[in-house]
Amino acid sequence: MIHELRILPPLAIARFGSAPTPMDNYDAVVRSEDPLGYRRLEPRATLQVDVDSGEITRVFTPAEVSFMEGEEVRPVAPFVEVWALTGDEQLTGGGQLEPLTTALLQVEGASAAGLRWQVQVSNLKVFRRTGHLDDRVIADTDEFSDHARRPLIGRCEHFLAGKTIGLGHVQAVRPTADHPEIRLRFTPAGGFVYGSDREPPPGAPSPDPNLADVVYDSARGGWDGYGDPRGAQRNTAPPNIYAGRRAGGLHVSSGYLDDGCDGLVRVTLELAGGRTLRAFGRIGAGPPTYAPDAMPVRSIADELEQALFGPAVEPDEATFERVEEIVRRGLESVRLMNTAAWNVNENLTGSADVPIMDRSLVDVVALTNLHQSLLVALRSGAAPWFADVLRNHDEAGDFRPPARRKMPAMMRGADAQLLALTRRQVDLVRTLARAPLFPEDGRQP
Amino acid sequence: MGEPIPVRPPLDGEPVTETIAPERPPLELNGRDYAIFLLRLAAEIEHGLMVQYLFAAYSLGGPGVPAGRQERVRAWQDTILGVAKEEMGHLVTVQNLLTALGGPLQFNREDYPNDSVLYESGFRLQPFSLGTLATYICAESPGDWEQTNPDQAREIKRQATDESGGVVNRVGRLYQELIDVVGDAALVPDSAFDSGSGVYQATWDAWGRGFRRGERGPAGGGPADDPDPRDEHELVIVTVTSRTTALEALRLIADQGEGFGSPDDDESHFDRFVEIHGELSALEPQEQRALVRSLAPNPTTHLDGQDVRPKAKRTLTSTSAISNPEARLWAHLFNVRYRKLLVNLSHSFELAAQRGGPGDGGPRGALINRSFAEMYNLRSIAGVLVGLALDHADPEGERAGPPFQMPHTLMLAHGEPDRWRLHRDMLDASATLLERIRNAGGTGAGRAYADALTHADRIERDQVELLIAAPQP
Repeated sequence: MIHELRILPPLAIARFGSAPTPMDNYDAVVRSEDPLGYRRLEPRATLQVDVDSGEITRVFTPAEVSFMEGEEVRPVAPFVEVWALTGDEQLTGGGQLEPLTTALLQVEGASAAGLRWQVQVSNLKVFRRTGHLDDRVIADTDEFSDHARRPLIGRCEHFLAGKTIGLGHVQAVRPTADHPEIRLRFTPAGGFVYGSDREPPPGAPSPDPNLADVVYDSARGGWDGYGDPRGAQRNTAPPNIYAGRRAGGLHVSSGYLDDGCDGLVRVTLELAGGRTLRAFGRIGAGPPTYAPDAMPVRSIADELEQALFGPAVEPDEATFERVEEIVRRGLESVRLMNTAAWNVNENLTGSADVPIMDRSLVDVVALTNLHQSLLVALRSGAAPWFADVLRNHDEAGDFRPPARRKMPAMMRGADAQLLALTRRQVDLVRTLARAPLFPEDGRQP
Repeated sequence: MGEPIPVRPPLDGEPVTETIAPERPPLELNGRDYAIFLLRLAAEIEHGLMVQYLFAAYSLGGPGVPAGRQERVRAWQDTILGVAKEEMGHLVTVQNLLTALGGPLQFNREDYPNDSVLYESGFRLQPFSLGTLATYICAESPGDWEQTNPDQAREIKRQATDESGGVVNRVGRLYQELIDVVGDAALVPDSAFDSGSGVYQATWDAWGRGFRRGERGPAGGGPADDPDPRDEHELVIVTVTSRTTALEALRLIADQGEGFGSPDDDESHFDRFVEIHGELSALEPQEQRALVRSLAPNPTTHLDGQDVRPKAKRTLTSTSAISNPEARLWAHLFNVRYRKLLVNLSHSFELAAQRGGPGDGGPRGALINRSFAEMYNLRSIAGVLVGLALDHADPEGERAGPPFQMPHTLMLAHGEPDRWRLHRDMLDASATLLERIRNAGGTGAGRAYADALTHADRIERDQVELLIAAPQP
């Protein structure tokens, strides 16, 4: 018996791309034969969806991973799947999750036709600034049960008549005998920039050649020329993180919008006996990854893990593999940084006069080698010794010279403070650091 | 004239005390030269202490430690490793003092067997025990110990004598002599200090990672209310450009060792060792032994020689041959990486700091970072060694330990390309050993580490090749 539905993954993140063919599936793996090298991108089994029928017509593993199609970036278009909580929950204490399939629906006397989808996404970036409800860009598919591609048409009260922003599209995959699972695919927008209709300042290029379209009606909305009010609680730190220009001594918006969005996917299933099951999942779209073989040292996944499981790890969760992954992500971050320049970047309260680190140490090759040596040492199974150099979450605002050197160094968070790992990540390293010193003590690396 | 200082067990008919020098300065030296002599001696002693402390820390633990005592053992281990790191800071600061006085650097140290009367007690690699701890306490003890705590001093000195076979000298005496000499403008004139030598010296900024500077209280390990706060001690690295900074450096080093400063000072090595000694003394001898691995003392890769003795015929100064083929390879690798650490340190001092634009990293920074990498390697290899039998014929017997054998030379060639060729030579030696380790039988311990180190060495070798070929100014 189906007790409940879930949409998995509960959060799926798409990446912009204007190429017609979505990105193939791949994984970024650490090769055992090259433990200090870049991750290798390895192709993985990929589902090909026929646009017209909505059916999965092919499962293939591409020969190579390609991010471009001609001159265009291929979008990352995630699938979300409907899963069912089944089993006797009285006996098992919660039942089990299994993919919802046509066969399972049949057992319940239902069919895929009885499923209804609805996708609502929005781009609230302008609203986030102005606080004006009519600056919200919203797309709503309404409920549907078919398998046609459904565009996500972003509408906004302050848009010019007839203007919209395409926020991508969704398509419910038609189940087949070979692929009986219930899926929906979200394909994001191309990553375009849209503008406002205010006359550009004298001498400025007109129109901006980067704009896909001019959509915002400056006669009705105030986004073009908007400036963060001084001292307003809703201001971000750092401020002014939108494209703008100087006007009257202030940073004001140039009226740009993008086609990013996030929102909800809902699914409803009517069962015999008048029972209705519902579930929802979250989707979002962001820019392409331009360093796909490198992972950030702190990610949304780390935030979610901390939110779910708390700031402390259980002793058996503190493994060498997990600590190595943190160090590896640190190494991958260092490789992408101009560390000599960041070392004297004034936004990090470094300057040419008072650099963060001793200048002799921050050559990117030397720093890369140092991080590699940490990875090497961890492979020996010796307990980590570098817990003391990690920045605590409550030290992010400590810009004094010694504190600035804590790890991760030369990086800042979205709040303009120094970046710290999550409390859970720090606890992971510290827990393993408290373990017996050598593997000979009964641990295995 | 220096005060009398006891150094070694008196032989029959010998006087029981000896001075650091019969006259200050000794007749063959002037004041500056005497200061340099003492500093080079101090460097050897700091180096020796650091290595002995590391060996003792690595000997702690093992499968025999009862579950209920693992946490304390780990805490002792961290304390001793922390002290060893601070000795590294002392060693580096003494090099700064030598640089400021225009003396030759000293990264060498005595090797065992040792019978010089000048050292603190004779260099020996001994597993952790009440006796070895007693020798450390005596070496780091303050001059007024016998007055402030006579019972404790008497008992611990007795244990140290039993352990070492003689009187253990107080390192503080050497630093007091240095303070007296360096502080005396009649012996060491102002002109002896090179005020421009700072750029050639080690700085706290470059070497003080993970440590605090001039601050008190728990820090880096966690906030003050952390359930397991790890006290972060101060790392003494002082750049020396004058008599004032030289005296500051010497006092800080002496203070950190024996703690004769003000009451709110950082807890001294002496205090930290006494604390562990107190805890250990509360255990029965059998319980004490369970906390320590059965490491052979003074391990060496030399299979024969007059000092190499089987276990049954060991003396205090004899060495234990690592005959297990698998352990021998790791021991040789340990020695190569130990040499690499010392060469990196020495080479980093030889290269003038390049201070200018933001992109002036240069090889000096790489050498400093590589020095830290080699410290990690020594710890990792020691971790493999303490798990391997000393003698393959006795697989359950004594364990091998890190041998810390001194290389045939630490002298650097005159030219930069030749210095970098030495780095390449060491990497080649390491590559040969790692290849044999990977192909050898045995327990397979450390194989994943050996693979990773091989990759890291290849990367480093490519970089060293570029430095060998770099145009010279």
